Amino acid sequence: MPLSRVRSVAFVCALTSGALAGVTAFAVPADGSDALVWTVSGGGVLLTFTAGLAAWFRSRELRAVERYAELEADAVRFADTTLPAAIARAAQGATAERVLAEFTPTGRQAAVAPVRPEHVRALQEAVRALGRSEARRAAALAACANAAGRMQAISTSTLAELREMEERHNDGDVLADLLHVDHRTAQAGRLADSIAVLSGARSGRRWARPITMESVLRGAMGRIAGYRRVRLRAVPPTLAVAGHAAEGVMHVLAELLDNACNFSPPSTEVFTYVGEVPAGLLVTVEDSGLTMGDSALRRAEQAVSGDTPDLSALTGTRLGLAVVGHLARKHDLTVSFRPSATGGTAVLVLIPRHLISRIEETATAPAASATAATPAAPAAATPAAATATGAAPAAAQAPAPGPDTARRPATGSIPSQRTPSGAAPQGHADALPRRRPAQQSGPPAPSAPAPGSGATAASTLPKRRRGQTFAAAHPEGLPGASASADDSAPAPLSLPRPARHGARFHAFRTAVTGKAGPESTTPRASDPATAEDKDSPDSPASADTRGSDR
Amino acid sequence: MSRPGPDDRPDRLYTLTSGRSRPSREDLDLVTLIVAESGPAAGLSSELATILRLCAHPTSVVEISAELGLPVSITKILVSDLLDAGRATARHPRYTASGRPELDPATLEKVLVGLRAL
Repeated sequence: MPLSRVRSVAFVCALTSGALAGVTAFAVPADGSDALVWTVSGGGVLLTFTAGLAAWFRSRELRAVERYAELEADAVRFADTTLPAAIARAAQGATAERVLAEFTPTGRQAAVAPVRPEHVRALQEAVRALGRSEARRAAALAACANAAGRMQAISTSTLAELREMEERHNDGDVLADLLHVDHRTAQAGRLADSIAVLSGARSGRRWARPITMESVLRGAMGRIAGYRRVRLRAVPPTLAVAGHAAEGVMHVLAELLDNACNFSPPSTEVFTYVGEVPAGLLVTVEDSGLTMGDSALRRAEQAVSGDTPDLSALTGTRLGLAVVGHLARKHDLTVSFRPSATGGTAVLVLIPRHLISRIEETATAPAASATAATPAAPAAATPAAATATGAAPAAAQAPAPGPDTARRPATGSIPSQRTPSGAAPQGHADALPRRRPAQQSGPPAPSAPAPGSGATAASTLPKRRRGQTFAAAHPEGLPGASASADDSAPAPLSLPRPARHGARFHAFRTAVTGKAGPESTTPRASDPATAEDKDSPDSPASADTRGSDR
Repeated sequence: MSRPGPDDRPDRLYTLTSGRSRPSREDLDLVTLIVAESGPAAGLSSELATILRLCAHPTSVVEISAELGLPVSITKILVSDLLDAGRATARHPRYTASGRPELDPATLEKVLVGLRAL
């Protein structure tokens, strides 16, 4: 300790000089000159006093320096450790009083608690201010959420009323006005939805059942100003988005479509494609407007994928991407941007598979006429879409002897639809079986012994096997006009399960190796419509081969 | 006053018609029979495809409207789109100059015979 050393030095000094003076006084002979004695001893005393004084000043100075260092260390600790820790606790949601209680020498955070009263006061002030501002923020958000919720309710019921009025009025002028108001209300509803999403409230409304992709896209279109410029392409008719997520997906797509319309020339169109990919459903929104620069793309990506929702990044005028980001996080959507081949920007939204389900054709269309929709599946814009709607080519491929086109898909598609739709929400495994009919035409399909005709044709050409499958479905031959409806549905279901697995495995292997049999690739790659056309001359042939097989 | 119901659909009517509120042709009425001239093709909206399927047999506009669950006015717009594209044809009831449906005695007689034969 420097201070004690200084003290001891001063003490030793004083003792020495005092002793010196005393010794001097006694050692001098009594008869000696008094003056000298007094002078020497006086000098000694003076020296002692001076030394003591110097030591005292020195020690005081050292003590001050020490105290200063101590204060500085405390201040640094307060600023670097205590305050951030307290703010972090407050940010975790602890109330101001709770934080203050924790940051006392006896509290949970005693290790970093302030020790000086002034620091305690500063901490109190800071934490309480923080608490007040947090309370203000929460109140403002809650008010926003509440108001947005009411606006949503109003717009939802207004839309329902408008729909009813549109049913009532047939006059073109009135209808035009109603449609106009309808459109305006839908846009206002979207704005309310946006505010609700940003303020953490629930989005618009819940749908009780899966909403088809076409309806989702139209719902999104209906909420933007430039919906007339949006062109839908390749929308699979049987794919639907789970009801609880449909509103969110719709809102995301509405914001992206709105962006695309706003940032492209009004004379251009905005194209929307839907394709099924292994991970789910990919929706592409493509405009031919300005290409986004690298930094703009990065900013946009960051806005839609930021891990922590942060309202402070909002600029007030650009809410869209922030809303998209919130909803994407909520529903596990993946949103990415890239320059488009058409010169503008393309936005890709990946809807995860667990949100996708298939709906039965019969749910949207009368059963008797559910047939043509499957072949009418959108022209395969991408290979993914082609595989996705694999049932369409499959149905077209299925041998259709005779002119009875209305019955044809009933053999191939209805059972396959029934299976996945029953367990639709389970995602992956259920969504896949739809492809099964396509694979039945593949080479390993013979491992599926057709109950009707036996497994005799194991090494025959694929085309014959297709006939065989059909024969399995209709052991009695060409279905009669009335009997077929009963027969067609259960028969394919009675296929042994291992056979299906084999077919499915083959599908997997084909996909991996890319070596699909010519008979399975050709119809799939071609337009379903043409495949359907091709089918007609094809059918008698397959019917013949089937006949020879038997 | 109507409440949003569970059977609502998210697509608004103006998105079905691209904002049009009147059909391109005025000669459609509730009982005009529509006959599909072709099957549903790729790229058609589900409503148009459904109409074409329904109209494999002659179907009146009002029936189509009921099947689709859409207002007649909107259905007329969709149907006239199909007519314009040549995918369907309309069979209008024939009227006399006085505005009453033209009745062909021969047809009526056939109907009478048919009824008696029942």
